[in-house]
Amino acid sequence: MKLRRKLFSSKDPYDCNRSELFLGACKENFNHLITHCEDYKKIADGLNIRSAGDIKSVHDIPVIPTMLMKQHEFRAGPYTIMATSSGTSGHASHIFFEWGALISALKMSVKLMRYHGIISMKPCRYIVMGYKPHRSNKTAVVKTAYLTTLLAPAISRKYILKHTHDGYKPDFEGIVAALRKYEKGKAPVRFMGFPSYTFFLFQLLDEKKLYFKLPKGSKIMLGGGWKQFYREAADKETFYKMAKKTLGIDEENIVEFFGAVEHPILYTACTGHHFHVPVYSNIVIRDPVNLEPLENGKTGLVNLISPLCKASPILSVMTDDLGILHDGSDCPCGVKSPYLEIIGRVAPTEIKTCAAGAADILKGVNV
Amino acid sequence: MILFDGKTYESSEQGRLLDELTEKIPGILANKTLDPEVVVDAVIHLRMDLLDGKFNDLLADLPQDVVETYKKQAVSLLSGEQLRAKIRTELGDTEEYITDPVDGFSQIRVRKVPLGVIFHISAGNMDFLPAYSVVEGLLAGNINILKLPSADNGLTIKLLLQLIEYRSELADYIYVFDTSSTDIQGMRKMAGLCHGISVWGSDAAIEAVRGLAPTGAKIIEWGQKLGFCYITQANKTADLDAQLDDLAHHIATTKQLLCSSCQVIYIDTEDMDEVKAFAERFLPLLEKAANENASNEIGIVARDTLVSYTRRLMGYLEQEEKSSDNVLRGRGVSVIIASDSALELSPMMCNVLVKPLSKKDIGKVLFEHRHYLQTAGLICPDSERDELAKLFTSLGIVRVTKAGDMSAYFPGESHDGEYALSRYVRTVNIEE
Repeated sequence: MKLRRKLFSSKDPYDCNRSELFLGACKENFNHLITHCEDYKKIADGLNIRSAGDIKSVHDIPVIPTMLMKQHEFRAGPYTIMATSSGTSGHASHIFFEWGALISALKMSVKLMRYHGIISMKPCRYIVMGYKPHRSNKTAVVKTAYLTTLLAPAISRKYILKHTHDGYKPDFEGIVAALRKYEKGKAPVRFMGFPSYTFFLFQLLDEKKLYFKLPKGSKIMLGGGWKQFYREAADKETFYKMAKKTLGIDEENIVEFFGAVEHPILYTACTGHHFHVPVYSNIVIRDPVNLEPLENGKTGLVNLISPLCKASPILSVMTDDLGILHDGSDCPCGVKSPYLEIIGRVAPTEIKTCAAGAADILKGVNV
Repeated sequence: MILFDGKTYESSEQGRLLDELTEKIPGILANKTLDPEVVVDAVIHLRMDLLDGKFNDLLADLPQDVVETYKKQAVSLLSGEQLRAKIRTELGDTEEYITDPVDGFSQIRVRKVPLGVIFHISAGNMDFLPAYSVVEGLLAGNINILKLPSADNGLTIKLLLQLIEYRSELADYIYVFDTSSTDIQGMRKMAGLCHGISVWGSDAAIEAVRGLAPTGAKIIEWGQKLGFCYITQANKTADLDAQLDDLAHHIATTKQLLCSSCQVIYIDTEDMDEVKAFAERFLPLLEKAANENASNEIGIVARDTLVSYTRRLMGYLEQEEKSSDNVLRGRGVSVIIASDSALELSPMMCNVLVKPLSKKDIGKVLFEHRHYLQTAGLICPDSERDELAKLFTSLGIVRVTKAGDMSAYFPGESHDGEYALSRYVRTVNIEE
């Protein structure tokens, strides 16, 4: 995995001149997969991509839909950790990562966080808009939320959802008490969590006329899965206004990023609130009718490509999201790579069928 | 939500209500009978209100063309005339009779009576199926316990509540629970109350029900099937172009999602060049039909494409040795040329398989897939039709249709080879 190491050691995380290296690293990954994952080889053969030589561009890499990963577990050699995607539909997929993938992911995160000014030596207090890691919850969101609290030294961590014997419950009073205390201190506060939960907190505070002015350097870090960033999910302007009103945090201190277990690349919003594609990945938007690649600016299925991982065949995956890839060269932030806008999801797979075996494809067993 | 005694309850009351039901059932069976005319009358009311638009808000989530199809079906299916015809056809003579005397033996009175309690486990594959399944149980005079499919959007309870509103006598005969299929205890309790279990769904769903049914309960299975079209002597077939157009239209409108939908088109030949020539001829027809019936909603188009792509990849995983498909692609459609003759699920969504199947091999292929057989569409010269129909039906096919009518409804038709109502009754004998 020499080329992967080289790619993930790129100095500039948004370097636009590394497409050749990127393709090379993808071919290297492809060669590993077809020799270590029989199922991947079957699919590649079926699609008539029999060797790395058949891959002329990133478009040609066999695309594995996340829909398939939810029904079929793929393995490609030894792994260090397993992550579970937080599927809302009841079907979850397991993705395996080997040590080299974790190291690459760490290098990437450090580089991107530094680029976006998120890493700080100044100790912070964290408020996590999610739940405390618990053995009953293995989803990657929890782990990511926890890991993010390591980006600056933590004085304390407070979780908005508490694990009780009835499952997870919001602890609103606890958060308000914490905010009262933090407001008087000097240490910056960092909020970390889903945009929807965070917005819900703003609304609750506003309803109860509870307004805070948090210490300088406080940030709101919004992360989570793709679906958190749908166009209609939260009206951004309102979000920024509410952050200012309830917590005294300015727009430039709101940092958005997202990733997915099946494609663990960190997409971080620039100052223009755009999710540029970093050097570690490529995005192809595909025609909803025939999966052919579309040009920038057109809406289609989102195909995510990265040679990050060896232990699972997630080199090129297709989510069930619809998105647009925009030309990034005009973005005032200075990054030239294209940026992704998520529009929404494909229609729910609640398809009516009675053809034998079809239901298993559509939603698994459903008595 | 739960429907019990004509009232709705929270799902959390399931345990208590099931206990109450256990107490109630013997009394109803012992002291009451349900006249099918009561059911017919309630359904006629429902049909009128449906056509008057009373349930439009409930149907608002469904695509307009689907609603139109449902309404069209309701006009005929739910009419009093059709319902009475259904009872006549499916139950035969319901009048009690006395057997002819035979020397040395007693005579008996022969009577059809309801099975008793039927537990319906309905699949979410048709919006009206759960309610319709209950109506069939009612027409045969049974007490019905329905487990809602997880995808139910409230339509079923609303419709059944309406029936009870029109005819309050029905309250004793309809119980609906929104139990999850993972609630094994709840499912077992319901199964434990019934004489028969009517289950719709996939192999896995049916397998699960067999596991939880008490020994002795009659299991009435409505499994999932695979349809195909058989083409022989195409060049001698009158109006071949029109028939192929009809087939393409059928594939495009059902998106190959129904039991009766065409998954595979078999060509009566051993020559792959003929198969290929047919595929090339059919592709533009399919593309045209798909285009005429395409959805404008990008989310639906994208979903359908993803589903068929996923199914295609699953196909690669399922097979040991697979040469890459010879696929002819059009916009949003494909014709997949395969050299084997297996009856299998296509990638659906206007992606049809074309395979060779010479007449002499039909027996072998259909026997192998006997549990999945249902509909065969035919494109052949008129002179061949009877013989082919006989061949197919003797091997387990239960519907032989024109290629374009594979998913059509025919009044008086059986379902998977049986009349539902006849499975919901018992024939009893009383010595004179």
